[in-house]
Amino acid sequence: MPNTKYNQQMEFFIDMQRCIGCHACEMACAECETNGQESMIHIHYVDRAVSVQTTVQVCMHCEDPVCANVCPADAITKDDFGVVHTANTSRCIGCSNCVLACPFGVPIKSEPQELMMKCNMCYDRTSAGKKPMCATVCPSQALYYGTREEISKMRPDSVPVNTFQFGEQEVKTKVNIMMPKGSTHLKVH
Amino acid sequence: MATLPISTDKIIEKYGPHKAYTPASGFHGSHEPDRLVKTHCCFCGMQCGIQLKVKDNTIAGFEPWMEFPFNEGRLCPKGVQRYLQNNHPDRLLHPLQRVEGKGFENIGWDKAMDRTISEIRRIQEQYGQDAFGMLSGVSLTNEKSYMIGKFARVALKTANLDYNGRLCMVSAGAGNKKAFGLDRISNSWSDLAGAEVIIIAGTNVSETFPTLTHYIWQARDRGAKLVVIDPRVTPIARTADLHLPVKPGTDSALYGAMLKILVDNDWLDHDFIQHHTSGFDKTIEAVKDYDLAWAEKTTGIPADKILQAATWWGKASTSFLLHARGIEHHTKGVDNVLGCINLVLATGRIGKPYCGYGTITGQGNGQGGREHGHKCDQLPGNRDITNPEHRKYIAGVWGIEESEMPGKGLSAYEMIEAIHRGEVKGLITICFNPLVSLPNNNFVREAFEKLEYYVAIDFFLNETARHADLILPGSLHEEEEGTVTTAEGRVVKINQAITPPGEARKDSDILIELAQRLGAGDKFNYSCSEDIFNELRVASKGGTADYYGITYEKIEKNMGVFWPCPDLDHPGTPRLWEDRKFKTPDGKAHFNPVPYRDPSEVVDTEFPVVLTTGRVVSQYLSGSQTRRIGKLVDQYPEPLLEIHPKLAAKYNIKNRELVKVSTRRGEAFFPAQLVETIREDTVFIPYHWGGKQSANQLTIGTLDPVSKIPEFKVCACRLEPTGQQGTEKMKETAYQSY
Amino acid sequence: MLKLFQTLNTQALIKATIAAIAVVILVLAGSRNLQNFDAALIAYLLGTVFAVFGIAYRYSVWLQRPPTRLYWRRSWQFLLSKDFPSYAWRSLVLFFKNILFQRFIYPRGKTRWIGHFLLATGCLIAFAVTIPLTFGWVHFTLEQGSFSTYNANFFGFKAGTFELGSPIAFLTFHALVWCSVLVTIGAVMMMKRRLTNGGLIATQTFEGDWLPLILLIAISITGLGISYDYTFLQGRTHQFMSVTHAVTVILFLVWIPFGKFFHIFQRLAQLGANIYKVEGERRGMAVCPHTLEPFASHTHVEDLKNISRDLGFDFRLENGKNHLDFSPEGKRSALAKAHFEARKNSGKFFG
Repeated sequence: MPNTKYNQQMEFFIDMQRCIGCHACEMACAECETNGQESMIHIHYVDRAVSVQTTVQVCMHCEDPVCANVCPADAITKDDFGVVHTANTSRCIGCSNCVLACPFGVPIKSEPQELMMKCNMCYDRTSAGKKPMCATVCPSQALYYGTREEISKMRPDSVPVNTFQFGEQEVKTKVNIMMPKGSTHLKVH
Repeated sequence: MATLPISTDKIIEKYGPHKAYTPASGFHGSHEPDRLVKTHCCFCGMQCGIQLKVKDNTIAGFEPWMEFPFNEGRLCPKGVQRYLQNNHPDRLLHPLQRVEGKGFENIGWDKAMDRTISEIRRIQEQYGQDAFGMLSGVSLTNEKSYMIGKFARVALKTANLDYNGRLCMVSAGAGNKKAFGLDRISNSWSDLAGAEVIIIAGTNVSETFPTLTHYIWQARDRGAKLVVIDPRVTPIARTADLHLPVKPGTDSALYGAMLKILVDNDWLDHDFIQHHTSGFDKTIEAVKDYDLAWAEKTTGIPADKILQAATWWGKASTSFLLHARGIEHHTKGVDNVLGCINLVLATGRIGKPYCGYGTITGQGNGQGGREHGHKCDQLPGNRDITNPEHRKYIAGVWGIEESEMPGKGLSAYEMIEAIHRGEVKGLITICFNPLVSLPNNNFVREAFEKLEYYVAIDFFLNETARHADLILPGSLHEEEEGTVTTAEGRVVKINQAITPPGEARKDSDILIELAQRLGAGDKFNYSCSEDIFNELRVASKGGTADYYGITYEKIEKNMGVFWPCPDLDHPGTPRLWEDRKFKTPDGKAHFNPVPYRDPSEVVDTEFPVVLTTGRVVSQYLSGSQTRRIGKLVDQYPEPLLEIHPKLAAKYNIKNRELVKVSTRRGEAFFPAQLVETIREDTVFIPYHWGGKQSANQLTIGTLDPVSKIPEFKVCACRLEPTGQQGTEKMKETAYQSY
Repeated sequence: MLKLFQTLNTQALIKATIAAIAVVILVLAGSRNLQNFDAALIAYLLGTVFAVFGIAYRYSVWLQRPPTRLYWRRSWQFLLSKDFPSYAWRSLVLFFKNILFQRFIYPRGKTRWIGHFLLATGCLIAFAVTIPLTFGWVHFTLEQGSFSTYNANFFGFKAGTFELGSPIAFLTFHALVWCSVLVTIGAVMMMKRRLTNGGLIATQTFEGDWLPLILLIAISITGLGISYDYTFLQGRTHQFMSVTHAVTVILFLVWIPFGKFFHIFQRLAQLGANIYKVEGERRGMAVCPHTLEPFASHTHVEDLKNISRDLGFDFRLENGKNHLDFSPEGKRSALAKAHFEARKNSGKFFG
């Protein structure tokens, strides 16, 4: 990728227990120029009948992205910074393999466009040294973009974790999730 | 003639609400704006900093303003979408005149002004000066708020001026004046982030003040305990250390019981109570019988939870107590506020770092707008219109005789009642949508239909303005310079980004021309907003809300100045009461006894369920602005009836089933949303919609005797399932207020 | 170079060689043993044969990847089933709609679609004209005994007749001029997007996105140059024009298998993906255990479990279920619930 001021010290940290379900991230995501008025972030109730718990999900930018592996069209690539980019529009055939295989449920298939789209960590902003839109506006800072030093100072009893266990499969990601101190991974199932 | 000129459908077709979206490729110039204008969000009292992108005198988008200290770029969904108003297809561009059977037609400014002036003269000559009233709003800047106060008294010469802050935080204002002699939150938000125990009472912070959440989360990161008092498990209550699901209308019982626990356990600051307060003994006398068993029975909160909350509060070394409309929208709103203040004073935790108390002001300029005289009983600097000295000072600033100044007028809802009785015949409104925001709005509509002349100043044709004889297109937040005072008492600068489109004019220019034509032009000799502000500074000098030392330059340089700021060298006052010199006549903070009493309407066999109302995160107040923004509408398209599955089972109500909700004032249909996050005896409906899906058809218009705030938060209702599902059409059209 | 041989894919090499040889055979047959072959086009022919070799090689390598192989197999399996007529018809419709008219680009932006359509149409017509000419499959002869009637011959057989100077003749002899105009307009429109759209500016690369557009414009301009030369300059600059044009075209041909132009051939897989989706839905939908809603075809979910396992990802759970049984929303909710539990078990949500 060209001209970049991408700061590799900056990392993405999520803590969905801080999320208040306001959808500011979703509105702001549409302002990111790489996806022009389409929101790529996911925010929804987990089970509204019993709780107002919401979850917020950006692309976790896996070290070995399942989406790219299962793509029949070689449309998904990971760059030198570890950012897994949205589908190459000329290649993507809209098959939805990535949508169904992503363990975090991130990619979105746009049916009329026959195209997969996903979060690319606001590459237009991060490559210019800015923070992603969602983490900039998030009023609860459930989404945080900054350095490891900053987050460890602000949230002394939490620790960033980037290893996830889905049954037999361990997935490592570029994006971190904030867990109780002492945690090394998040076991989803 | 304030009936609708044509059918609602036809008005909606032309003037909306229509849903606006940003075009797929962005607005013209969003990629290369001419400039970024640093200003603030137009919505709630947080007044988050934001930069607007401007291209060819239109708003093209926004860019976060990372340097503004309160929010550092953070925004809620309304803030992110606030830029969609200037380009909006519903934006009023010309003065409009009601034409029976045809709707509204363009009328030039000259004719519009002529007609308005002649109607004002006619009504005032025929029925008396006070028969022409004015209702205003506190989304307006300090400059406009100040000028409206002066306009009504000096140009319109009416006593009847009030504002929609009457539905907002007047209970808090009245309570604070009683207890402290001054009406402002005691500390800036940065103190909140360091408190050890935080109680938030009747405030759905996460949905109504989302950007304040960050400060509460910061405090929790540092180990703070969070106690949330709310009948519903709101998003901020979900992870709270303690949630007290209070039965609506019983708040003061809870605070009374907590005060008794503090006394019984001697968790008191005797030194503070003795030297800096008065009224302690009679206050604790009033709660001596409020034991836990009584409190549990009255409030519906388990006794152990009440004890836990009181214990944390009693033992804390630093703390913050915040409340909002949830405890203020009651016929005992002032009592509830005083109950909270008693808890703060008993522990002496005020006027110190990380020790604070306050109301979270709701509207954009709910703080500044309630200080400078557009309340019926108030003059600038939070002065009293019945106090001869205050009258004399302000008459001097305004260049009129004290005897010319009208006295205390009717409060907002009382004015509606007076219109209904035929005592007030003409009305001018600005920035207020009473048909959606006032309780018992069938009654409000009847009142509006009785007006002989109604002129509305607004930038969209809101539900109330549909009834107007004349509409004057005013200015958006970004179309006029000024200042607002945020909920933490910080005076910030609103910068003009663009000029009003079409024939629309700045609100202040409209008011100045009206004043000129009413023969008071010499009193409204302003060339710019700063002129008005400079006069406001002088008018507020010596009052409790003293802005004298604040200048535009100083605000820009410091990104806001906290009042009181009595002279030009003064740095402003982020934390009040460090000197322990309270603004009451005796210089002490006042305890006030709060004996418990019931709300104005209690449940009975005919209306057996408690109804409460409130907000959702994607909408703002009466929705006049936010129901025109597509994504915000889509996020929560129609009002739902939140009901506990157990209560629903009792009435055989299924999820998504349309339920008829009736009260003594009206009935309406809402789809049920079965959730375990609400008390089993209470249902909740959000109030942002007008027309057939307006929750305020059901609410009650009884008022707090002191603050005159209506009791939005509790009334009795009946539920009847209809056997039908809510229709797609209802959902798709609710935002338009059919 | 050594590395290239080491990583050479034998299967693909064989297939590519066969394809290249097939082209040569077709050239010999179509041009009646080079009788109708225009020797001036030999460089173009060599370039095209190389392109065919490269495309076939890359296509073959591509099809060997598990997800692609599966789609390839499934597409043919479903197409050649008892539902052949309906799937064949569907594919034909989609071929027109999505391959020839690229309708799916329209929702991504109107000008974007116009630009791409002009560019693609220009290229496709130009291929249709130049490849048969280069291969000697099409050539023109004067009707015997006439000085103005031309015959168009295909594979040596007479396929049509037209009068010199007629509108048909004008259109036919200038076909490449029209193509060049279309391609140039389209390419300029696409370039403009790449200069103004912030998202594209941030993610585009020179060789991936700009080079193809530059190459197309270069081909078009030099092609127009040849026309301009013989129409207005009486062939005085013919040599220069034809050499530069040949260079750009051959660069383009050689570049096809490696660069962005390969998507022209990959795009056909979109038809397969469509049939796969339709047939999958007919066979039954998978229901998410969290949302209790159908979200994808059962076939697709099961196929993906196998493909991901082939690729080294095993999402089987201890309870015998599979993480991939969950819909995207279900997966996100599962993670949120797990996180909630972890926080709750630790005794506090914050810190």
